[in-house]
Amino acid sequence: MAIAEPTNNSPSYIDKLVVPGDVVLDLSSMSNQTIKLGGGLRQDCDSITAMKAGMLRFSKPNKYWVESSQKRYVPSAGDAVLGIVVDTKAENFLIDIKGPALAYLPVLAFEGGTRRNIPKFEVGTLIYVRVVKANIGMNPDLSCMDASGKAAEFGPLKDGYMFETSTGLSRMLLSSPACPVLEALGKKLSFEIAVGLNGRVWVNAAAPSTVILVSNAIMNSETLTSVQQKLMVDKLLQRTQ
Amino acid sequence: MEFVSPEGLRLDGRRPMEMRQLRAKIGAVDKAHGSAYFEMGNTKVIAAVYGPREVQNRSQQLNDQALVRCEYTMANFSTGDRRRKPKGDRRSTEISLVIRQTMEACIMTHLMPRSQIDIFVQVLQADGGTRSACINAATLALADAGIPMHDLVTSCSAGYLNSTPLLDLNYVEDSAGGPDVTVGILPKSTKVTLLQMDSKLPMDIFENVMQLATEGCKAVANYIREVLLEKTKERQKFHGV
Amino acid sequence: MEQRLASTWRMSVNEKKFIESSLLSDLRADGRRPFDYRRLTIKFGREDGSSEVQLGNTHVMAFVTSQLVQPYRDRPNEGTLSFYTEFSPMADPSFEAGRPGEFAVELGRIIDRGLRESKAVDTESLCVISGKLVWAIRIDVHILDNGGNLVDAANIAALAALSTFRRPECTLGGEDGQELIVHPPEVRDPIPLIIHHLPVAVTFGFIGKESIMVIDPTHLEEAVMGGRMTVTLNTNGDVCAIQKAGGDGILQSVIMQCLRIASVKAGDISSKIKNAVESFNTERALRKIKRHSSSSAVEVSEPAQKGGTELSRTHVGRLNSTPEESGVGQSNGMEVDGKILQQETSRRDSGAQSFIGGPSSW
Repeated sequence: MAIAEPTNNSPSYIDKLVVPGDVVLDLSSMSNQTIKLGGGLRQDCDSITAMKAGMLRFSKPNKYWVESSQKRYVPSAGDAVLGIVVDTKAENFLIDIKGPALAYLPVLAFEGGTRRNIPKFEVGTLIYVRVVKANIGMNPDLSCMDASGKAAEFGPLKDGYMFETSTGLSRMLLSSPACPVLEALGKKLSFEIAVGLNGRVWVNAAAPSTVILVSNAIMNSETLTSVQQKLMVDKLLQRTQ
Repeated sequence: MEFVSPEGLRLDGRRPMEMRQLRAKIGAVDKAHGSAYFEMGNTKVIAAVYGPREVQNRSQQLNDQALVRCEYTMANFSTGDRRRKPKGDRRSTEISLVIRQTMEACIMTHLMPRSQIDIFVQVLQADGGTRSACINAATLALADAGIPMHDLVTSCSAGYLNSTPLLDLNYVEDSAGGPDVTVGILPKSTKVTLLQMDSKLPMDIFENVMQLATEGCKAVANYIREVLLEKTKERQKFHGV
Repeated sequence: MEQRLASTWRMSVNEKKFIESSLLSDLRADGRRPFDYRRLTIKFGREDGSSEVQLGNTHVMAFVTSQLVQPYRDRPNEGTLSFYTEFSPMADPSFEAGRPGEFAVELGRIIDRGLRESKAVDTESLCVISGKLVWAIRIDVHILDNGGNLVDAANIAALAALSTFRRPECTLGGEDGQELIVHPPEVRDPIPLIIHHLPVAVTFGFIGKESIMVIDPTHLEEAVMGGRMTVTLNTNGDVCAIQKAGGDGILQSVIMQCLRIASVKAGDISSKIKNAVESFNTERALRKIKRHSSSSAVEVSEPAQKGGTELSRTHVGRLNSTPEESGVGQSNGMEVDGKILQQETSRRDSGAQSFIGGPSSW
């Protein structure tokens, strides 16, 4: 299909939707360039093809990747995610981050963590962690510290309510400038929110009704445009007040 | 067919509010960690408890509480016609589930994490009310095995024939097609943990029948307490002061 | 073991605590109040006896089929009703393919008890030849998506499917009067089942130490609740079945309160089912009229065809009644006169499509 015009494909696919099998770049036309491939792309001799359905993105100087939204999460290094403790072993905590395999959180990966003050997490604790290593075939490694070794708000989350969304929605919630849903909600209500790139969102507020409102508003905003999102939030707020 | 004669006597000579003869023996199975034999009239059942012991199937292990398993079987010779399938048919599966969930309500499972408790109940002779007899026998067997429990669980059945509520139905009265209400309670708080009913009953009559069954459960509870106290006294004589 | 751990759906401690604490202020996680049902939609397939029910996120389908079998020895005059469930692993990662798990068996037996023991479906009318042949009605329920509260959804699906199911009519005929002829649906209208009352199941969940009641628990609430009770009742005030299989203990007064609330909910659900069934039946009748008008237009063009089906005869008879108004004498609608029909044929072809309009189209 796309084999007919190989050379014209590279500029036209950026920021456009691609499906598995689309050839997005032809390497024979570019030489002496290093290109970094992110998620969703694979190299097939001289052409780069998309593996997932989504939008092709490019960031200077040379990074290409496909942005898609799923219900499951593919761990990648540097992401901040919400995990649930499944088991405690001698050296690690086993954490579920909605990926293909459980992740390991070393017991010492906390700010000021020594053998003497290992935190005790019971099964089912919700933790905000950072993915350190995510190689294919190995269980991902996590840490409750940021790159410089500070705690930086990582750690267990108390109270509140957690719900699951798709990875695309959680990326939208984390985008800057602020996502329309959060902005509209934040104007009228006060709440605390933690968003994990693996599709888990945690909300906490003083009153349970606020939490329920916020969580339902976010879950409804998956397919709405920013204008629709504002309208939806206004309607929800009106109904409860 | 007349189930209650004009003088108020049932087919086996009992009064409507009269239970059948109860008999219990603790320690019927030598090998088991706890066992009991229970008779309600002509219904005879035997229960054996193993545990808490190591979980046999590691994948089913629960990290914060004990795993309770229950198996209900009817011996081939227990009913009039020889039964070809003692277990695995749908009725046995359902009753196993019911007994397990009823006993789980009273066992303090969080005191024994990562372990397994097996309850095996077998009906030796079936004459109506097998479910209730099994639960009573299982309670005694669990107490014999020293497994920590909130409270005893006792059970009794009641029905409604010829416009009279009848306590503790036997097989003939049960298969008459009238309603059959089985109740299991925690005697100290008289809270109902098991409630099963089939066939049709108007709501107010149902309340009377359930009340009657609860009274029957309380009578069984008194009897079970007596039996347990006696057995414990006997054991203390050998071990104690 | 790790593979299994990685694939199960997990719940955090925060969710459990939140559900319990928000219930203290009468709020549930999806915004409902404790005694509200989720949105219920009942749809029917093209065939009789197939229904699709959606209760919130829970999605089930039910199919009813019938077969002629030998009756049980101790009930020679009654037909049989059997209920089967299919818990497909696509509905929930914890369902396993193959043998039904305990929960599937329990659900099947709860609904089976509610329908059979309470004599909701009249089984004596299913008897064809006493002691030899009766109709066996089989209900299959397939769970497509488990969003919580499968019992209620499956029960509603089964009731809806039973209400729209029609079994073929059969008569005794043949030389000795003992041979059974089963008439296909084109020949004779199939007969609906006689349903005395609709036993509706209402499930309660008991959450937290205070055992707060909620109706129609979602998947998340089911994982958190300490006890569950399913009450099956009909709109006549009868309790048909109750299933509370262990779990946290509750007081008797609470049980009676649940029964009272359930009877109100059962009334709502029965009326919804009845409305859906009625609209399906009117649609079905409309479809039948359209179908028969096209079939009789074909028959009429060959009036010499004798021994035509009863249906076409009656319809042609109806068509013939109108010529009486226009002055063409016709004594008996059943006797087909070739000539007059040929006169009508030309008008028929144009008028066949608008037959539903009735005599006014002439």
